[in-house]
Amino acid sequence: MSDSKLDLLQGTLDLMVLQTLSTMGPNHGYGIARRIEQISGNEVLLNQGTIYASLVRLQQRGWITAEWGTSDNNRKAKFYSITKRGRKQLHDDAAYWQRLSIVMSRVLSMPEEEPNS
Amino acid sequence: MTSRIRQFALRIAAIFRRDSLDCELDAEMRAHLDLAIEENLEAGMTPQQARRQALIRFGGPQQAKEIHRDARGLPFVETFLQDLRFAARLLKKSPGFTVVSVLTLALGIGATTAIFSVVYGVLLRPLPYHNPQQIVRLWEQGATGVRMRFAERNFDDVRAQNRCLSGIAVFDSGLSTVTRHGDATRVQATSVTRDFFDVMGVQPVFGRAFSPDEQRLNASPAGLVSYAYWQQTLGGTRDLSSIRLKLDNHPLSIVGVLPPGFRFPDNSDIWIPREISQETPSRSAHNDQLIGHLRDGLSVDQARADLNTIAQRLKQQYGPGTDMVAVVIEPLRRAMTNDVRPALIVLLVASAFLLLIACANVTNLMLAQAAARERELAVRAVLGAERGRLIRQFLTEAFLLSSIGGVCGVLLAYWGLKGLLALAPANLPRLEDVSINVPVLLFSVLAVALVSIALTLFTALRSTSRDGLNEGSRSGIGTRNKRRMGRLLAAAQLAAALILLVGATLLGRSLLRVLSVNAGFRTQNVATMEIGLPFDAPKADRADFLDRLVTRLRRIPGVDHVGGTNKLPLSDSGFADGSFAPMNPSQISPHVQDLIRRSNSENLANMDPALMSELIAFFDDLFRDKSHLGYADFVVASAGYFPTLGIPLLEGRLFDERDTSDAPHVAVISQSLARQTWPNQDPIGRTIEFGNMDGDLRLLTIVGVVGDVRDHSLESAPPPTVYVDFRQRPQVAWTFTFVMHTSSNPESVFGAARSILHDLDPNIPPRFNTLSQVYSASLEVRRFSLTLIGMFSVIAVLLASAGIYGVISYSVAQRTREIGVRMALGATTREVLIMVLKQSLITGAIGISVGLFGCFALTRLLQSQLFEISPSDPITLCGVSILLLMVSLAACSIPGRRAARIDPATALRCE
Repeated sequence: MSDSKLDLLQGTLDLMVLQTLSTMGPNHGYGIARRIEQISGNEVLLNQGTIYASLVRLQQRGWITAEWGTSDNNRKAKFYSITKRGRKQLHDDAAYWQRLSIVMSRVLSMPEEEPNS
Repeated sequence: MTSRIRQFALRIAAIFRRDSLDCELDAEMRAHLDLAIEENLEAGMTPQQARRQALIRFGGPQQAKEIHRDARGLPFVETFLQDLRFAARLLKKSPGFTVVSVLTLALGIGATTAIFSVVYGVLLRPLPYHNPQQIVRLWEQGATGVRMRFAERNFDDVRAQNRCLSGIAVFDSGLSTVTRHGDATRVQATSVTRDFFDVMGVQPVFGRAFSPDEQRLNASPAGLVSYAYWQQTLGGTRDLSSIRLKLDNHPLSIVGVLPPGFRFPDNSDIWIPREISQETPSRSAHNDQLIGHLRDGLSVDQARADLNTIAQRLKQQYGPGTDMVAVVIEPLRRAMTNDVRPALIVLLVASAFLLLIACANVTNLMLAQAAARERELAVRAVLGAERGRLIRQFLTEAFLLSSIGGVCGVLLAYWGLKGLLALAPANLPRLEDVSINVPVLLFSVLAVALVSIALTLFTALRSTSRDGLNEGSRSGIGTRNKRRMGRLLAAAQLAAALILLVGATLLGRSLLRVLSVNAGFRTQNVATMEIGLPFDAPKADRADFLDRLVTRLRRIPGVDHVGGTNKLPLSDSGFADGSFAPMNPSQISPHVQDLIRRSNSENLANMDPALMSELIAFFDDLFRDKSHLGYADFVVASAGYFPTLGIPLLEGRLFDERDTSDAPHVAVISQSLARQTWPNQDPIGRTIEFGNMDGDLRLLTIVGVVGDVRDHSLESAPPPTVYVDFRQRPQVAWTFTFVMHTSSNPESVFGAARSILHDLDPNIPPRFNTLSQVYSASLEVRRFSLTLIGMFSVIAVLLASAGIYGVISYSVAQRTREIGVRMALGATTREVLIMVLKQSLITGAIGISVGLFGCFALTRLLQSQLFEISPSDPITLCGVSILLLMVSLAACSIPGRRAARIDPATALRCE
């Protein structure tokens, strides 16, 4: 049971990370995790540690890049930023999700059929 | 696509950069926590609260690390490497177990690999010719289904009329005398028809092929030589016209050199055109060996259909003049290896059995090992390890063990192969193609994989069953299952060992029976000297030369009898056999008698064709009615041949001084021929016509009957034989073997015989041997098989006894407490001993019964290798069964006695 939940989260979490980086600009892992939590109205309860698996996946696919830098209060942190390929992927995935959600809501709000009298 | 490759490459890199990546992650996680704590502090929490909340929100760091690792690397590979390291540690911890297992597996894998390399080299490896699978051998098939060599005229017609072969040729190979710079040696020479090299797909690498001028009747011989001969004997000289060679006293001009490695057939060194010799016109003279090349895209079956049509057409055309009703066609590789294939397959199966026994042994060892790790496995299972993961662990351990065993095995095989090849019969075809090469190594890799899977199957499935934790105490029911598995494996080993031992015993008894066969001639203290005479020396000269040689050889001190023959028993040289016509001299008119006389005194080629056809018509008539013809081997011998070889004279007389070339020709026949052709009659004085064998049409009068000789092989019946005197009929004695019976060591006369021959003619090189060596050479294949299977079965029995010893030992150790309880409750030492032995007896009995069943099932495999003994010979089966039963009981007596000596007090105390 736990396996399937993780799978679902893998793809969607990656998408959320890309979106965050696209709108917020370069950020470190903590910042990205906090942002996702805030934006989703704290409805997404994930272990913040799982962000890092998502980040390494996105790195391997070439959709984000990473660089060590210093944060606002002079802490050393690894900063991630979205790449051009990442933006394209984000655009495609977002379009897909939009279409999917429209179709799903249409299907799920289908009224009960009256039997033909 | 490239992104996938890039990702894959990054993942592989991640495996190697494990430590640095882990370090980076640690740094990132620490930074993450620091930032979280800071935020919490700003929100007003206390430092402890801030830290605690941050950790809770982060989640398990260990889990985060694991998910990270899985995402960045190749989890499968990493767990495999992890398992490998664990397995290596385990093996190092128990060196005894490791060494024994590795050695046992090495033995099994090594034996199988060595035998497979022979099987591959001889049976499977493609021949080193162009398109070798399309090269076929052809024979005539007679009405009775027997396969025969081709008659020359039939070959001509098949060549002209076939549509399925791109080329077809005749080859005829034999030892010839080559003289160079006055030195004479025997060289394997083959005469071939014009398409031979196209069929084999070879062209000369230096010089040229035969020209049409060189491939016609009576042309001066031109020759092609093998690369090795050119390099080694001819000095690799590039000016071929400077080479002065004589082949059987004819000048031979060398025109070309063939590619290195080509020596077909029979390791030939010289090839000459067949067309320079006269063709034999008779369609029932089966002299020719045929080889052909199928057209591209045609199968053997299609070719057979085409050739059979031609055969039937010829049969209709020539009727009884030809014996061929169909054509036998077989791919060359099959044809070359038909004789040895059954023996090799038996050896392969035997080595496979040995491997199975070795596996079973190691499985038992691993089971015992696994029992010691029960607790570890139970804990791991409880902590969440899936069964699949644990099985993977076992698989990795088994794989590591098998791989090490496999590498040692291949080394063992490499070393053992040298011994094997030294032991192998010299006439094993394609022996030079046998080596440890890539396909053989692939086979051993496959063996290692199969062994790992087999080992895992038994151990892992047993050990990772859910009731791991329940087996806290050692005497629980679960371990009884394990013990039963162990005993089953021991029984399986006994079964396999029984099969091997029965096979070895049957082969051994076959060999003994062959050895006890009465060969019909004496094999001790006989020296042989083989010489080759020029093909076209005049008859009289040849007879005279041989006669003088016999006379002089008799004078060697130590020699009791001297004789000679053109076909030594049990030797490799082909034999000549055919039909003869018993007839009355009065059946021949004086006119025909005169013709016969003239055909012998004049050169047959110069005789008036009309008269020739009269003669031919007369004899065709005679041989037309097959029902009153006889069939026999035709051998040229001397008077002294029979006493030298100890062949008894049963009736009449042998050849003597009366039998000169002008006197009426005489023959001596073997007993079986007398019984066969003239049952209940006296054959002495009868006459037969056997001129189809050597071209001399004079009738032969039978003057004596001698004992039968197992001429072809010790295992086949003695052939009916007609012996003629070499002074009267020397025509087909191109090679002649002298036999000398000595009072002491036969090799002592070699030197004297050599100088006598040299005095008479220095250009004839002799080959010496002793009859006892010829005799044992004929048993080589049998001895080879027997030695190997004997070795395997001895090892198998040792392994099986070690197996059952181990299992019963282990069982006693496991049941120490139980035995202690029994003894405390009153069981005597005898009763304990009987309990242990009963267990061993049952295991042994099961193993032996399964083994016997297996013997019956596998009898067909061994049938062709046995001689005068049935594969289900009851004495052998009983004897071997009893032997194995006793061996297992003996092996179990040791743990049995140990059990009996258990002190109940200490047994109950130990846990």
